[in-house]
Amino acid sequence: MKSTGNWIKSAGLGLGILAAGAVLAATAAPAKAQGTLTVLCGVQEEWCKAIAVAFEKKSGTAVAMSRKSAGEALAQIRAEAANPKTDVWWGGPGDPHLQAAEEGLTLAYESPQFKDLQPWAQSQYKQSQGRSIGIYAGALGFTYNTELLAKRKIQAPKCWADLLRPEFKEEIQIANPNASGTAYTALATLVQILGEDKAFDYLKKLNDNVNQYTKSGSAPAAAVARSETLVGVIFMHDGINQKINGFPVDVAAPCEGTGYEIGSVSIIKGSKNLDAAKAFYEFALSPEGQATGAETKQFQMPSNRKSATPPEAPNLEAIRLIDYNFQKYGTAEERKRLLSRWDAEIKSVAR
Amino acid sequence: MSIASKAAGVEFRNVTRRYNTVAAVDDVSFTIEAGTLVTLLGPSGCGKTTTLRMIAGLEMATSGTILIGGKDVTRLPATDRNVTMVFQSYALFPHMTVADNVAYGLVVSGVRKRDAAAKAAEGLELVGLGGYGQRLPSELSGGQQQRVAVARALVLEPEVLLFDEPLSNLDAKLRRKMRDDIRELQQKLGLTSVYVTHDQEEALAVSDRIIVMNKSVIAQSGTPDELYRRPKNRFVADFIGGANLIDGELVGRSGGTATVALGRLTLSVPDPGLPAGEVLLAIRPNAIRLRPAPVGSAADNAASEGIPVTVRKATYLGSHMEYGLASEFGDLFVVDPNVSNPVPAGASALATFTGDGIAAVGR
Amino acid sequence: MRPRSAIWLALGWVGFALLPWFAGGGTQPALEPPAPGPAGSALIDGLTNGRWWLLPIALPLLLALAVTALPRLRPRQPAALLAAGAFGLAWVAVQGFAIGLDGWAWGWLGSLFGPLPRGQGGYGIGAVLTVLSFLFLMTSGFAGLGFMKGDRFTAGAIGLVLAAIAAFVFLPVGYVLSGAGDTGDGGFSLVALAGRIAAPDIWRLSCLTEAKACGVVWNSVFLAVLTGIATTLLGLAFALVAVRTGFRAKKLLRLLTVLPIITPPFVISLAVILLFGRNGTVTLALSDWFGIPVSRWIYGLPGVLLTQTLAFTPISFLVMIGVVQGIGPSLEEAAQTLRASRWVTFRTVTWPLMRPGVANAFLISFIESLADFGNPLILGGNLEVLSTKIYFAVVGAQNDPGRAAALGIILLCLCLGAFWVQRQWLGKKSYATVGGKGDNGIPSELPRGIRIAAYATALPWAAFTFILYGLILFGGFTENWGRNNSLTLRHYLAAFDLSWGPGGLIWSGRAWGSLFTTIEVAALSAPLTAAVGLLTAYLLVRQQFKGRGAFEFLTMLSFAIPGTVIGISYILAFNQPPIELTGTVTILIICFVFRNMPVSIRAGVAAMSQIDRSLDECSLTLGAGSVQTIRRVILPLLRPAIVASLVYSFVRAITSISAVIFLVSPKYELATAYIVGRVEQGDFGLAIAYSSALIVLMSIVIALIQFAVGERRIGRRTATSATLQEKPV
Repeated sequence: MKSTGNWIKSAGLGLGILAAGAVLAATAAPAKAQGTLTVLCGVQEEWCKAIAVAFEKKSGTAVAMSRKSAGEALAQIRAEAANPKTDVWWGGPGDPHLQAAEEGLTLAYESPQFKDLQPWAQSQYKQSQGRSIGIYAGALGFTYNTELLAKRKIQAPKCWADLLRPEFKEEIQIANPNASGTAYTALATLVQILGEDKAFDYLKKLNDNVNQYTKSGSAPAAAVARSETLVGVIFMHDGINQKINGFPVDVAAPCEGTGYEIGSVSIIKGSKNLDAAKAFYEFALSPEGQATGAETKQFQMPSNRKSATPPEAPNLEAIRLIDYNFQKYGTAEERKRLLSRWDAEIKSVAR
Repeated sequence: MSIASKAAGVEFRNVTRRYNTVAAVDDVSFTIEAGTLVTLLGPSGCGKTTTLRMIAGLEMATSGTILIGGKDVTRLPATDRNVTMVFQSYALFPHMTVADNVAYGLVVSGVRKRDAAAKAAEGLELVGLGGYGQRLPSELSGGQQQRVAVARALVLEPEVLLFDEPLSNLDAKLRRKMRDDIRELQQKLGLTSVYVTHDQEEALAVSDRIIVMNKSVIAQSGTPDELYRRPKNRFVADFIGGANLIDGELVGRSGGTATVALGRLTLSVPDPGLPAGEVLLAIRPNAIRLRPAPVGSAADNAASEGIPVTVRKATYLGSHMEYGLASEFGDLFVVDPNVSNPVPAGASALATFTGDGIAAVGR
Repeated sequence: MRPRSAIWLALGWVGFALLPWFAGGGTQPALEPPAPGPAGSALIDGLTNGRWWLLPIALPLLLALAVTALPRLRPRQPAALLAAGAFGLAWVAVQGFAIGLDGWAWGWLGSLFGPLPRGQGGYGIGAVLTVLSFLFLMTSGFAGLGFMKGDRFTAGAIGLVLAAIAAFVFLPVGYVLSGAGDTGDGGFSLVALAGRIAAPDIWRLSCLTEAKACGVVWNSVFLAVLTGIATTLLGLAFALVAVRTGFRAKKLLRLLTVLPIITPPFVISLAVILLFGRNGTVTLALSDWFGIPVSRWIYGLPGVLLTQTLAFTPISFLVMIGVVQGIGPSLEEAAQTLRASRWVTFRTVTWPLMRPGVANAFLISFIESLADFGNPLILGGNLEVLSTKIYFAVVGAQNDPGRAAALGIILLCLCLGAFWVQRQWLGKKSYATVGGKGDNGIPSELPRGIRIAAYATALPWAAFTFILYGLILFGGFTENWGRNNSLTLRHYLAAFDLSWGPGGLIWSGRAWGSLFTTIEVAALSAPLTAAVGLLTAYLLVRQQFKGRGAFEFLTMLSFAIPGTVIGISYILAFNQPPIELTGTVTILIICFVFRNMPVSIRAGVAAMSQIDRSLDECSLTLGAGSVQTIRRVILPLLRPAIVASLVYSFVRAITSISAVIFLVSPKYELATAYIVGRVEQGDFGLAIAYSSALIVLMSIVIALIQFAVGERRIGRRTATSATLQEKPV
């Protein structure tokens, strides 16, 4: 038997494979969800971390927080629907929250703090049949590079109509509404201000001035900050953030009126830590929880009337907010129709 | 410790190897006695290498049984057979020293490092490469590399040692020396060896027995002498020793010999076991002698002694003459040891036949 | 029966009767009483807990035991093992998929058999062990019947690789792709599928005739072909300079070419923007000095091509260098003695021998470019490619997974096409150049023209890379890169601060958590990737078996699909029993292993087809089993390929983002996910500081890998050493 020496070694290899398998199987045991609250977070990472820490301190419940863009979060919650691993979805524009509610992915819950909230936050609650609620609002607006404007002696844009001025030729960035919720909000806003056909006429003219339809909603803010472009259409708090970071930018709200997003929070249906999830939900609505935003230089408008509004935040009272019809423009059907039209009339002529 | 032999016999029983529908080896049976060197001989693609690889376990038989030392090994993988092989390309591991190459089989079989090294050194000594152990294969000449490959196969004391065209990459002189060395080693150690080659001279020189293969089957097997003198068919007659093949007629058989008519000439040949009628005569080049063409009445007489030919080409080669002849039975090639009275090209001559070196085979 | 099979059988029994069958408690429905006893094995659970469907698993185990223990049944053993293994595997799989957390997962079974008393969770260690046991019993049976030349190891390895690919590539990809024909209400229709695949905005050719954008397929293919050509040429130039010239700073050259691969992709994009963007250093300088008007040319095809070429050239280089090193010098010498000039030699001998490397390098770059997501995202401008389109079809405002699946199918077909073309080009020629005969030639110098071309290509590119990296490293120390270039350490402190607390050292920097997870995942997945990849390469090159071509294609599948799609598919497939892995570190490792395996396979195939087959056959006849042969003969000769695949898989596990963005769980956050968050926030300082730290870390690891694996030693002399020493005897 000349192979007797061999098989011992081969058996060793076999055992190695086995050990690997065993490790795999042992680690495959899912992290026990009980006791740790799993939260998908839709705002900037600092804020995610800050509110998690604050909640841990207050409740003693450990929080596992993961930052996801709105689309990613929705896709993940949808994929997990059969066996949810997430308890709370906190932050991010209201549209995808509404969509999750429409698909029955989230749980209806009534908060005792409901009466303290701003009307727009309550409206998110009503439209989602109680499955989602507003925690902050951010208005749509412009951001522009003050240095470049001064160098070229161009007036800063103040109205939607200003964006069509010839001196902005190829100097405007806005996200692609197919990719970004921010840009969809802009599209829906224009449709509501101008009426659908006029809005598309406007967008066609605007197309001459747009140098790029970015894929991320906040990308134009970064581009303006780095002087890659003169003007960007964004949520105003993204622009303010760049300003705080030391870039020569400023923001403005359109004079004709503008739309806004309602940053929302939802509890995932099938959460295995329902009590902790509800506690987090309440914390997110409380002035204490909402103060974590300003602490981390996030300048959205908080939804609780008792919360202090950060001085840097765009004053929503001073901005002409339109009566944004989330009910209509939040449905999958209307969304698909507008986006298809945008694709056909604007995207296909873009270079 | 010394390198000894554990020679065992090999037996193939109705072995077939198919690739998809094509049979590379078709229903082949043979026996190889322990301690003998048997050559598988044949042209390219005849199935000899496939047969060899089936002995090694590098190919699996599609059907049939293979026995080594009386044990059924048909399904046993190469690793578990006590068979080693010297490859045509030598297959020396380029990243190991010569000594490590030779010790490789021992080390992987679990022999202690020191013992393996000692035995490897012994093996290298045996092939005349003592002191070359620390070199890399790339630093050796072709012949030396070949010896390393032999030593590596030997030190495992295999039941069967296989050679796959081991000399094909060497020059003629070295080839002759190596083949003698291989034969000497094999006989000294009493190894069972199977040797694949397409060179019939090499086969005749080293073998106890030769198995001639053609088109996936065995054409004939026997000792070199049997194959040379009594080929059973046209292929063997032609392939071994290069016979002149001409048409004749078998007219009678008695007591182990047969009588064959070639024109008016009759010749005695070993009985081929064929019925009377048309046969093919295989005449070795050295079984023909030339003498000057007779004239007059002697010419009539000569018709019963030989056949008239015309010399087309005569080549002097020192030890012998080579002739190209034209005759009514076709062209003939002759090797004649008579160098003192050569027949010049263009002359007419009479070709006579020695008794030996002529065989009748079926057409 | 040989001892190995007996061991596997015993382990199968252990897995069935002793170890817990199900994975940890997390998935046990809350209402259910816990399984009795600490064991909770399939046997105990089946007998006492009403899960009767687990008991039939004993049947094949009993059958295998019977043929092993009873000498009378020996002759039937291989067939019996095959049957037992196959039945066991099938039963474990079918019951796992058919019975979910809440009972029957397939409704029609419920109506047929009535409701079940309880559901079940995902496979645990017992199940894993039993499945492996069945798998190896089955392959052992196959080998016993004479398949794979009776080699149990080969049969087992093929079985293992196939099973793993089925579970971790096929299953998830199947989940996603079946969505391409989704009718919206859970049904499947070919009409819907055809409609999605033939959509005009995918195939439109309008950019040729008028000033409109072309279909996304053409954009992708055009970009991928350009990237493939550029990276292959650069990789070849670098390989030639590194191996075949007397260039002095070879080490530096190799380091520079490896740098981009160890950089998270968006960092290169950022640096490129800062150099060539409208406000970039180079752009402004050109504008100031030469009056070249400022433009946004970098956004779109040119920018993506540039960053992709920067990113993928190193892979191409790693593939090419193994091939260039492997070319037997005596072949070239032979050509030269045949009166071929250096140039003719290069053209007729060297180049054809490099073809497998060239084809592999091109194929990898082509597919990488098709699947690349980060660079088109940041620099794409208005250029739409398949990968970004798929991503936004999943996560974008329109949210159409069916469309994503259809685009995924198109992407797959493109990769398949590239693969097919590569096979056609290579044909069936033999490229073995490391033969069993020692090769004592000396690598010939390159012909002058080629040498100049190689230098002219490689050196400027190296300089460019150098500048880019200087910028990146510098950027981590600036207050606000591009605006305020005063030096500071604050970004590094924010990321990697350490402090002493009452409990000892506190990792107070913000990056530590994700850094540790990232290193753990990368360190675990790299050797696994290399092992699986090279094993597969070995099977592909060295073993003849039916369906090898199909097998090879399957192994490429996970590579061809963009990471985002893989991420989604992994969640779909592995979030519920029987295979429940989401939220664990295991799923990250598995994802990396199967995603990066194809590169390892390609490198292994290219290198292994240069090693003469008689070397392993010889080892087999010398009594070494397949395992020993691989370890002692093949692996030492494969060192360049091993380095390539270890480095690549380690680095990819650290730098890739798209595949894992959905798989990263709060507990297991990865470095790239964290850095992307910083970039989004506009906090470039921290992002660049963190990236620089990763780059340094990976450089060290690569150096360690290179050192540990070593060069292969096959006694070839380099041009320099040969001139110094006498030619040996």
